[in-house]
Amino acid sequence: MPDIKVTPLGAGQDVGRSCILVSIGGKNIMLDCGMHMGYNDDRRFPDFSYITQNGRLTEFLDCVIISHFHLDHCGALPYMSEMVGYDGPIYMTHPTKAICPILLEDFRKITVDKKGETNFFTSQMIKDCMKKVVPLNLHQTVQVDEELEIKAYYAGHVLGAAMVQIKVGSESVVYTGDYNMTPDRHLGAAWIDKCRPDLLISESTYATTIRDSKRCRERDFLKKVHETVERGGKVLIPVFALGRAQELCILLETFWERMNLKAPIYFSTGLTEKANHYYKLFITWTNQKIRKTFVQRNMFEFKHIKAFDRSYADNPGPMVVFATPGMLHAGQSLLIFKKWAGNEKNMVIMPGYCVQGTVGHKILNGQKKLEMEGRATLDVKLQVEYMSFSAHADAKGIMQLIRMAEPRNMLLVHGEAKKMEFLKDKIEQEFSISCYMPANGETTSIVTNPSVPVDISLNLLKREMALGGPLPDAKRPRTMHGTLIMKDNSLRLVSPEQALKELGLSEHQLRFTCRVQLHDPHSDNDTLGRIYTHLKSVLKTYSIQHVPDGTVIVESIVIKVTSSAEEPNLKVILLSWSYQTADSTATKKKKIQL
Amino acid sequence: MDISSDESDDWFIESLNTYKDLHVFQLEHPTKVIEWTGDKNICVAGYTGSRSEILELLLPLKLYAGENQGLCAERDFKVQHGGFSEEPIESLIHISGTRCVVTSGSSSSTLQIWDIGGDDSDVIKRTGVINLKSTSVKGCKIAPGLTDEPAVLHGSCISEVQLTEIATGRVLYTVAKESSDSVSGLQFVNACVFLICASDGTLFMGDTRDPSTCHYPLEDSKSGLHWAFGLRSDSSQSEPSGCTVARLSSSGHMLLSDLRNLQSPFCQTQLNVQHDASKNDFLNVSWAPVLDRCLSVSGFDGTVHIYNTINWSTEGQSPQPVFSHRGHEMSDEAKYSGSPPVVTTHSWHQSRPKTILSVATDGSLHVWDWVDKITDR
Repeated sequence: MPDIKVTPLGAGQDVGRSCILVSIGGKNIMLDCGMHMGYNDDRRFPDFSYITQNGRLTEFLDCVIISHFHLDHCGALPYMSEMVGYDGPIYMTHPTKAICPILLEDFRKITVDKKGETNFFTSQMIKDCMKKVVPLNLHQTVQVDEELEIKAYYAGHVLGAAMVQIKVGSESVVYTGDYNMTPDRHLGAAWIDKCRPDLLISESTYATTIRDSKRCRERDFLKKVHETVERGGKVLIPVFALGRAQELCILLETFWERMNLKAPIYFSTGLTEKANHYYKLFITWTNQKIRKTFVQRNMFEFKHIKAFDRSYADNPGPMVVFATPGMLHAGQSLLIFKKWAGNEKNMVIMPGYCVQGTVGHKILNGQKKLEMEGRATLDVKLQVEYMSFSAHADAKGIMQLIRMAEPRNMLLVHGEAKKMEFLKDKIEQEFSISCYMPANGETTSIVTNPSVPVDISLNLLKREMALGGPLPDAKRPRTMHGTLIMKDNSLRLVSPEQALKELGLSEHQLRFTCRVQLHDPHSDNDTLGRIYTHLKSVLKTYSIQHVPDGTVIVESIVIKVTSSAEEPNLKVILLSWSYQTADSTATKKKKIQL
Repeated sequence: MDISSDESDDWFIESLNTYKDLHVFQLEHPTKVIEWTGDKNICVAGYTGSRSEILELLLPLKLYAGENQGLCAERDFKVQHGGFSEEPIESLIHISGTRCVVTSGSSSSTLQIWDIGGDDSDVIKRTGVINLKSTSVKGCKIAPGLTDEPAVLHGSCISEVQLTEIATGRVLYTVAKESSDSVSGLQFVNACVFLICASDGTLFMGDTRDPSTCHYPLEDSKSGLHWAFGLRSDSSQSEPSGCTVARLSSSGHMLLSDLRNLQSPFCQTQLNVQHDASKNDFLNVSWAPVLDRCLSVSGFDGTVHIYNTINWSTEGQSPQPVFSHRGHEMSDEAKYSGSPPVVTTHSWHQSRPKTILSVATDGSLHVWDWVDKITDR
C-alpha cells in the first residue's frame, strides 16, 4: 500500500529542536534543521546517521525546507550542509533567508568566541550554506523536480514564518512549523486553504496549554515599565532588530500618549536602520495595521521614541531604552546593562529566549554576580523580568487549523504520548481522522489512498454511458472495462479495439463451443422450438430469440440443434459463446441453467 | 460591537492600577463549574452541546513563583487531564483526598463518577454511576460528604435529597421531608450537619445522625424569586457556631444568618443589581476563605462584585462593593458576540487572599487579584 513515512529526528522525549524526515511518493524531504539549545556537545545536532551512516546527505534528500529563523528550527543548518554535507536545494521564505544568517552568525560568535567551542560551523560555512537557499513566496507553487512541488503558507508567529505543503502526485503533507491562530500587533494569524492533505504535521509543545491573552502580557509589560519609571529607574529592553521591538515600541508609544508620560524612550540607532531596511523588504509579511502605518509614515518616527546616543546612558532620571543584541551577549545592550546593573531601581526586561553562555541566560537563571572581562565582577542589583511574547498555537489553535485544512490524518511531534491521549481522542472524535504521536527517532507510516489520474477516450466514455446505469460519481465508484496504455508520462484508458489499432495488432475473437447430447424423437427444428419455449419460461429476464435460420440466441449464447442421418433421435445441441462473455455472472448463470 | 475598543483599552490601562495580577484566558467551551481538585488545580466542564469536555487544569505557575515571579514566564494554564461526558454538565464536585469527582448533568437520571487520573495517563475516565429517582433539566444539586468514606449528598427537590456512599451506592441517609420544592444548593457544615437551600429561599438544616430536619422559611417570601446560598465557616469540621450563611435572591436581596439562629437573619440588605429571571442559573454568592467577612456575588451580568460585610447594617442604603471585576464585559470576545457575557460562576483561591477565578458564558476564564485602595497603598 502506498504510504507516507515520518520520522522526527532526536532521541527520547527531547523537545528542544525540530528536524523531521518525510518520505512521500519516493521523495525524501527534511523539514527544519534545528539546534538543541540545551546541550553543549554533539547532542545539540540532529542525529543524521538515521539517513545514512557515513557520507554526504545529498543523494538521500530531495530538498530541505526551513520554516522560520528561530535557532531551534534552523540552528543546525550550516552544520548539516557544510560539515555533514548536502548540496541540494534548501527552501525558505525571503524574510527567513535574510534573517537566518544574522542569527546564525550571532549564535556562532557566542558559541565559538565566547565559549571557545571547536566542533562548530564557521562564518564561511554559514555563507556557503546560504548560497544553496532557494527563496519562497507565499502561495506560490514551486517545482522542486518533475514530481515534487512545494507551497508556502502564512504562519504568523515571527516574521517570515511559513507552513509548507509538500505534494507528490496526489499525495500531500502539510508541515506547520511554529504558528499561531490569533493575530497580534504586528503579525497576522496563520492561514491555509482547504487543501485536504493526506497528513498534517504539527508541533505539540503547546498543545495542552491554554494561553494567557496577549493583552494581559502587554499589560504586565506596561505595568513593569511604568512602575520602574515612576520610581525614577531606568528600563533596558534588549531586543533583536526585528519583530518584538516594533511591537513593543508601538505599545509604549500608545501608552505614553494616553498617560501623558514624560520619561524619554530611546531606540538604539543600529536598530532603526536595520529594522527599517527589513520592514521595507518584507512589508507584505506584517499585518494590515502595520502596513497602513508604514504607508502613512516612517516606522520609527514616533512622537515619544527617539534615537539613542551612548552618552544618554549616563543621564540621570528615568528612561526606557531598546538596544541590541537581544541576549545581552555583546554590543550596546551589554554596555548599557553594565552601567545600570548596580542600581536596584532599574529594570531589565528580557523578551525572549537566551542562549546558554550569554549574560541574558545567566541573569534569567537568577545569577546575581557576573564575571566580566578582566576578572571584574558585576553585581546584578536591578530587577530582572522575563516576559515571553512569542505566539504559539494552543489546543484550541490546533483544532482551528485542522478545521481549516481538513487533513485525512494528523501527526503531532514533540509530545509525550501518555500526556496527550486526551488530545488524540478529541481530534479523532471530532474530525474522524487518525492522530499519530511518534516518539523521537520513531518512524510512523501513514497509509494513503492516492488517486491516479487517467485520460479516458471519448468513445469509451460514450460506450460506458450507453450501457446505462448510474452516472459516474466520485462517491460511487463503478467498474468498467477498457485498456490502459502507459506511454511516456501519460496514462490513457481506451477501448480494446482502439488499443489494438494503435498497437497495430489484429483482433481475434474466441468462441467456445460445447456439445450436449439429448434424445428427442422430434425433428431438429421442433427440438429447437421446444428448447426455445422451455428457455423462455425459465429465463424470464433474459432476451431470447428464435431466429429463422435455425438458431436460438440467449443474450450472446448461440444454440443450434443438429443430428446425424444415422441417428436422427440423438440430438446434438451446440452451445457457443464468445470469450468476452465467458466470465460474466450472467453467462455463468445461463450456463448452469442450461 | 457593544464595547468600543477605546472603552476596552481604557479598562486595560486602568487595570494597571486596579489589579495586582490579571490573567485572561479563553476556554474552547464555556463552563458553569470551577472546582478545586488540589492546591494548584481546578476542574471545569462544558455545558453547551451534547458532548462535553471535563478538564483538569493546572494554574499558571507564575502565580506561585513568589519572590521570583519576575523570572517565571509561565503564565498559561496547562490541561493536565481531560475526559468526555455524554451530557452537558451542570454541577461538578471533588471528593477531598481522592482523585474522584462526581458530576450531574441536564439529561440523564444518574450522577456520574469519574477518576481524574494520575501521572500515567491524561484521560479522565468514568468509573461508575449513582442512579437518581428522576431527571432534572437543571441537573441534580450535589455536595461532597465530609466523612472519611467518600459520599455525595444530592437531590433536585427536597424530598429526594439523600446521602449516597460512592463506592457501594448504598443510601446512608434520606431527608424525611415531604416537600417538592426544588433545591438551589446544599452543603455539609461538618461531618454530620448539612444545609439545604431551596429555590424559594427556605433553609433546611439536617444531621445525618437524626432523621428529622428543621426548616426555616423566609419571613416574607416574594414569589418568582430564585435564591442561592453561600456558607462560611471559620474552620472546617467545626461546630456550627462559627458559621454564617448568606442568601442571595435574583433581585439582589441579601440575608446573612448565623447558623445558631437561622430563623432570624442578623442582617438584611439590598444590593444594587439588575434582576433578570433568565439568569437564575448562574446566581452565586461565596465567602472569601481568608479575608474576614468578605463575600463575592456574581450571576447578574458580566461582573463579579466584592463586598465587605463588616459595616453592613439592616437599615442602611445599598452597600457599595469594595471592588467590581468588569473584565468579562471588556474582553475581545465580548465585542464580537451578540449578547454581553454573563459570569456563570466564580471561586476564591484557597490561600491567596485576594485572588479570584471567574468564568463566563463566552468561555472566558479570568484569574485576578485586585488592589485594595485602602490597604494596598
